[in-house]
Amino acid sequence: MTNLIIFLLLMTLGYLVGQVAEKKHYKSIIQREKRLSGLPTIASRFPPTDRLFDQSLVMGNTVISVDYFKRFIAALRNLLGGRVTSYESLLDRARRESLLRMKQQAEAMGAEYVFNVKYETASISKGRNNAIGSVEVLAYGTALIACGPSDEV
Amino acid sequence: MKFEHREIPDGINVTDVHPLKELVVLLSGATILIVALVYILGLSAGFMAPYIPFDTEKRLTASFPVEAPADTAVEHYLQQVTDRVVEVMDLPEEIEVTLHYSDGDTVNAFATLGGNVVVFRGLLQKLPNENALAMLLAHEIAHIKHRDPIVSLTRGVTISAALAVLLGFSDLDLMGEAGVYTMLHFSRTMEQQADSEALQAVYTLYGHTHGASDLFDTISAWHKASGNSEGVEFMQSHPLDQKRIKTLSAQATSKHWPQAGETTPLPQRFIDGLKGQ
Repeated sequence: MTNLIIFLLLMTLGYLVGQVAEKKHYKSIIQREKRLSGLPTIASRFPPTDRLFDQSLVMGNTVISVDYFKRFIAALRNLLGGRVTSYESLLDRARRESLLRMKQQAEAMGAEYVFNVKYETASISKGRNNAIGSVEVLAYGTALIACGPSDEV
Repeated sequence: MKFEHREIPDGINVTDVHPLKELVVLLSGATILIVALVYILGLSAGFMAPYIPFDTEKRLTASFPVEAPADTAVEHYLQQVTDRVVEVMDLPEEIEVTLHYSDGDTVNAFATLGGNVVVFRGLLQKLPNENALAMLLAHEIAHIKHRDPIVSLTRGVTISAALAVLLGFSDLDLMGEAGVYTMLHFSRTMEQQADSEALQAVYTLYGHTHGASDLFDTISAWHKASGNSEGVEFMQSHPLDQKRIKTLSAQATSKHWPQAGETTPLPQRFIDGLKGQ
């Protein structure tokens, strides 16, 4: 019975706190994405050749954990199979946040574009089985900072 | 070439399903799965365990130390009643019942592997007459006759192993509770069958079933006095007291067994013996 009460408490707490945290995070993500929309991030490896650019490595890194509620749902999914929707928003948030951090760094350098953008995703719960439900997402790319007119090429 | 920022439509990487709805669907699915699994395993254990020879069951318990029975008035009398009960209960030939008296305050009695029945002084002291004692012994001996201890053991081991494989390496140990409550269903059925068999024995011995109601009234009164509220039936290993009394009374009525009659008092040397004199 005590087990059940502790479980229900953790579930309620996880759900409420997790939902509030997620809503708040998404709000901030959307806001910053709008603000940084003037700085394109491009997957292509080939930068424009019409002008000269300084190049610099930029990266953004995020580690996010799920709440108790979502982890329980994911564990049930392991039993029955299907889409682990409770982890989808976790990864979505981590990727977008990482990209934003990378863009912020590029913006601070006065970059015009970030090329060759890539993601790395790692689970940081290795060896701890189900004790930690966290992911790390690293976004990195090459920031192009204009340094001269095209006729100097 | 022109490079520009294109906005990604929001929410394409996240499935729009309410987390609470997801929880309800998954939780009921998992519960049904576990209950069904435990039920099937429980049924098959109940079907197969009785085929384990009684000798093998006895060998399982041979390594446990057992108090040697003392030759006191209490044990003497208990053995006498047991013998009479066993006689009317029509036990299969290979099964033999061994009675143990334990000088403990625990208000309990139980049947266990190898045909061993243990009764505690705490419960014996509360019994009003021999009829109630016979009902108690007949109930425990019925468990032995039905091979309930070995069935419970087989069931418990099989089901815990299955649940450990299914849930052991996840955060779902709590789901095991669904399995435990399902398992209790089998335990309650066993109790009911033992009650019914014991009632038959008491009727054969005394010509009426007064002892049955005396026994359960005693137990029920003790439950109330000790403040053990019985709670919800699906969480109990035994049926609720009132339900047991009702079921037994219905059985007696349908078979036209008289439910009242003269009771046989417990001998004074037995009562004195329980007090330690």
